[in-house]
Amino acid sequence: MIAILAVAALPWLITTPYWRGILVVCAMNVLLALSLNLVLGYTGQLNLGQSAFFGIGAYVSTILVKTYGWNFWLAAAAAVGAAGLLGLALAAFAVRLRGHYLAIASLGFAVITYQVLINWEKVTEGVRGIYGIVPPVRGTLALFYVVAGIAVVVYVLMDNLVRSPVGDTLRSVREDEISAASLGVNAAVWKAFAFGICAGIAGLAGCFYPGFVGTLVPDAFNIVESFTMMAMVIVGGMGTMIGPVIGAIVLTFLPELLRGFGESRLMIYGLALTLVVLFMPGGMVQAWLAVKARWSS
Amino acid sequence: MIRAQGLSKSFGGVRAVQDISLSVPEKSIFALIGPNGAGKSTLLNLLSGVYQPDSGDLVFENKKLNGVPAYARVRLGIARTFQKIRLFKQLTLLENVRAGFHIHQDAPFWEYLLRGNTGRFHKEALELLAFVGLAGRAHERAGALPYGQQRMLEIARALATRPRLFMLDEPAAGLNAAEMEFLLGLLEQMRSRGITVLVVEHNMDLVMNVAQRVFVMDHGVALFEGAPREVQANPAVISAYLGGEFAAQG
Repeated sequence: MIAILAVAALPWLITTPYWRGILVVCAMNVLLALSLNLVLGYTGQLNLGQSAFFGIGAYVSTILVKTYGWNFWLAAAAAVGAAGLLGLALAAFAVRLRGHYLAIASLGFAVITYQVLINWEKVTEGVRGIYGIVPPVRGTLALFYVVAGIAVVVYVLMDNLVRSPVGDTLRSVREDEISAASLGVNAAVWKAFAFGICAGIAGLAGCFYPGFVGTLVPDAFNIVESFTMMAMVIVGGMGTMIGPVIGAIVLTFLPELLRGFGESRLMIYGLALTLVVLFMPGGMVQAWLAVKARWSS
Repeated sequence: MIRAQGLSKSFGGVRAVQDISLSVPEKSIFALIGPNGAGKSTLLNLLSGVYQPDSGDLVFENKKLNGVPAYARVRLGIARTFQKIRLFKQLTLLENVRAGFHIHQDAPFWEYLLRGNTGRFHKEALELLAFVGLAGRAHERAGALPYGQQRMLEIARALATRPRLFMLDEPAAGLNAAEMEFLLGLLEQMRSRGITVLVVEHNMDLVMNVAQRVFVMDHGVALFEGAPREVQANPAVISAYLGGEFAAQG
């Protein structure tokens, strides 16, 4: 409840258009990190294909609206479906591949998607990009409320899900697949479930991106974005609900706050990431729990 | 209850299990024994579906098991534990046992998603923890338990699937005398509750104390089958266990 009020109050505290724009990006990143966490944190599958699902959501919704004149929300539903189906396709690999092999396969999937966006010019306009895209709602503020609202709903539903028996099942797949099978868990089905939902939500986040920027170019869905999303989940604390949210917020604002350092900001950003992974492997949530435990004892 | 007919399995030329036929009677404790490398664990992996046999048939309560994957056999009423303990180490004791109720969770999906339904097996999970002597420790992390108690937790987790055939792979390995005594009691209680127990064991004392029937394997083949007393007296078994020279003396 407090969190919802805080989200609602944020635009009053942050009034410049630039920073309000960052808020929209932040809400999208929260969605991306939340959804990735279901696969990475709860089901234990290394997925570096998230940028592709984000991009598919963006392109499918934009093309349906601009070329075929669909209503935005209808197009968004179709985009979520398309991204979700591709998530299931990637899950087919996850059934056979583990750990690093799955990471490479999913990375390959992201590279292929990126190349298709660049080279399938008839449909995607390639590197020239698609211009003059209008957001589904007028104004940055309204867009923020829509995306942040969706993020809050996704958070609540996912929180319910991971505390339900479904959460127990996903965690059992993460911990030990052979053991999970000995309890009747068909790991293939549950991986597909997690990948499908993860991809669908990432696709949903993608629907709002082009309208916000006004243009759509493949570079926004470069594979580097997949690593950034993974960093958000890991820095915040994977396998917890609040961790990826914190990670998304920190990694959205940190590079912006470091802009004063010019080009060296990327170095500082990279160093900060490395330090977090080295000294807080469980992310900020675990670090906080450790501090709290020390204080109370 | 479960019947194997001419079961064989090889790994790259090593014939781990060769032409094994056995029949486990219902509501009994059936022991599978033999020296290291006899193929006991491989046989259990064939019965539970971790491996599929190269040849031979497997029937559970008149249903053919060939080709049925491990996860699907659980729904038929077959559960197992592992020789090398395979707990969900990062999860709590309660979460481990709750995961065991997977096949019995029957609420519709939207209830989990929208209404925050956390499943209806919380109380039963706590009862199972108490049954294996882990009452009051539901929120400890499974990986932090001492070895013997990890074995007990694995038993509780498997019992959550409500098996009619429960196969345990060397449950006594690494247990001290008191824990061993407790395990014997558990096996007896399971049997009296109508569960058929198949136990792969190294420990002769345990086998002789609880099993109604003993099946002896060596080098992948069946050596002998009979009551515990007959097994103890059988020269071939003694020879396999203690080496040829002892058998010659006896």
